[in-house]
Amino acid sequence: MNKENINPDPGFAGSSTEACNARLSALLHTSRATPALPPRFPEGVWRRIEEADAPVKTTGGIAWLDALAALVLRPRLALATVAVLMITGTLFGARDGSQAAHQNAQARYLAAVAPNSLH
Amino acid sequence: MNRSLVILLGALVLCAALLGGSYAVSRRVCQNCMSKSASDLDWLQQEFHLSGAEMVNIQKLHEGYLPKCAEMCAKIAAKKLELETAMNGSTNVSPAAQQKLAELAALRAQCQAQMLQHFTEVGQTMPPEQGRRYLAEMQRLTLGLHEQTESSMSGSAGHEHHQH
Repeated sequence: MNKENINPDPGFAGSSTEACNARLSALLHTSRATPALPPRFPEGVWRRIEEADAPVKTTGGIAWLDALAALVLRPRLALATVAVLMITGTLFGARDGSQAAHQNAQARYLAAVAPNSLH
Repeated sequence: MNRSLVILLGALVLCAALLGGSYAVSRRVCQNCMSKSASDLDWLQQEFHLSGAEMVNIQKLHEGYLPKCAEMCAKIAAKKLELETAMNGSTNVSPAAQQKLAELAALRAQCQAQMLQHFTEVGQTMPPEQGRRYLAEMQRLTLGLHEQTESSMSGSAGHEHHQH
C-alpha cells in the first residue's frame, strides 16, 4: 500500500516527516490526561474474571429443586406424565361414573317398588 | 430458586387440573351413558345378570305389583291426613288419634307384607342363588332403612336430651 504524502510542501519529506510524527505523538501523549489507577487494580480485574468464569455454587436444597425443575421441563417426560394422568383420571372417572349410575338405577327401582321405605 | 419453584408449582397445578378434569369429564360421560335407558328394572338386570326371559317374567310381576303399591300408598297418605286432622289443635294424644295411629301402623304393616310378598315372587323367577341374594338385598334396603331411621332417631333424641 502506497502512503500518500499529504504535506503541502513537496520538498519537505523523508526524515523530517518522521521527526514531525514523533513530535506529534509526544504532543498527543502530553495532551491526554491519564488518571492514576487504584491500587491492586490488575489483581481485581483478574479476580472478577475468575468469578465470572466459575460455575454458580448452589446449596443442597436448591440444587435438587433445580434438577427436578429441569426434569419436569423435559418434553418426553412431560408428555408421558400428561398421558398417564389423563388415562388415570379417565379410568377412575369411568369406574366412579358407572358406580354412580348403578346406584341411581338401584334408587329408581327402590322408589318404584318400595316408595314408603324411603320415607 | 424462585424460577424452579414456580415451574414445579405450575407443573403440580397443571397435573392436578389434568387429573381432576379428565376424572370429572369421564365420570359425567359414563354416568350419562349408563343412565340413558330409564327403566325401573335396569338395576335388576345389571345386578343379578338376568336373561331376557327372566326379565319378561319380572316385568309382568312388576307391572302387576305397581297398581297395588300405588293403592296402598294412597291409603297410607289418606290415613296420615286423618291422623293429622285428629291431632290438629290438641295438646295431647286423643283416643281418636291413637285409633288413627294404630290404623296407620296396620296399613304400613300390610304394605310391607305386600312388598315382601312381591320380592319373594320376583326372587322365585330368578336362578336360586340370585333369588336368595335379591331377597336379602331387598330386605336390607327396605326393612334395613327403617332400622337405620329408628337408630338415628333414638340417637338424635338422646342428643336433644343433652341439649336441654
